[in-house]
Amino acid sequence: MAEVFAGTSGQQTAREDSERIFEGGQNKDEVATTKKRPSSSEETAGATTSSTEKTTEGEPPEAKRLVLERVGSVEEGETRKTKMEQLEEERQKMQVLVASFSEEQLNRYEMFRRSAFPKASIKRIMQQMTGTSVSQNVVIAMAGISKVFVGEVVEEALDVMEKSGDSGPLQPKHIREAVRRLRLKDQVPSTKFKKTLFH
Amino acid sequence: MAEGGEHENIPAELEEDPPEEKETKDTPTAAGGKKRIFQKELRCMMYGFGDDQNPYAESVDLLEDLVIEFITETTHKAMEVGRPGRVQVEDIVFLIRKDPRKYARVKDLLTMNEELKKARKAFDESTYVNVA
Repeated sequence: MAEVFAGTSGQQTAREDSERIFEGGQNKDEVATTKKRPSSSEETAGATTSSTEKTTEGEPPEAKRLVLERVGSVEEGETRKTKMEQLEEERQKMQVLVASFSEEQLNRYEMFRRSAFPKASIKRIMQQMTGTSVSQNVVIAMAGISKVFVGEVVEEALDVMEKSGDSGPLQPKHIREAVRRLRLKDQVPSTKFKKTLFH
Repeated sequence: MAEGGEHENIPAELEEDPPEEKETKDTPTAAGGKKRIFQKELRCMMYGFGDDQNPYAESVDLLEDLVIEFITETTHKAMEVGRPGRVQVEDIVFLIRKDPRKYARVKDLLTMNEELKKARKAFDESTYVNVA
């Protein structure tokens, strides 16, 4: 994690910045991989540790600055090929799936893909809070995770609604229950109530 | 990322914002205020995530409050972390490191943004060369 906060030198390209940011995160937690289907076993063999090869937890080998990856793998050469293959496979599966959607599903899918928070509004909110300007990347990131947040709440609320046997549009009570559950899972940030460590 | 398919896969957050209307452009009052900023987008989003095509107005309002609170809390925390008083991408990444979905989403968005910028730059340069 230290790399993320190492002094950002202005000379680094933006691309290197992204790599640096995400690499620091990936070495410590195999985060991005958990949501992907661990379909082929050879790719996920090394997935529990970081994307670096043959190392135990700890320092990544200095010379190996691997490109951003979704799944850990064993050899760098193999990594790129299997990553491309996996992406291609994923795309094809999605295409097959979308091709078999009903019209209502297509509508919904389109809304899912195309809805997004207006960056200008988010930028305005954030700038009013910080008093300084925020960079465009930050706004993009915030818009993205806000959308994910809405998705998590809506999905949880739909679960709640199903369990309680209601149907129709979501009601605020479902949403509130969903948020309560997500808070327990730490997926809703809150600074209002600090957890006491020791009683 | 597969290069050929990008034209169909550009995430919505990387597209240009649609032109804004003037009515709702005042300051967002504290969550619960009268000005509704995300009404339209939220309704589309809720439908996309599985709600009814016409979600209840109270639900949309509640979600909007939740989103604004989310943005506010995350921004506050980001201001405390890293360089205090500023919000940088690293801070956001740090805050959501434990949440796999959000982390993956930010990673994808920023990666693709870089690639788009590079592609646009290359395209502009090639245009320039052709004209010259």
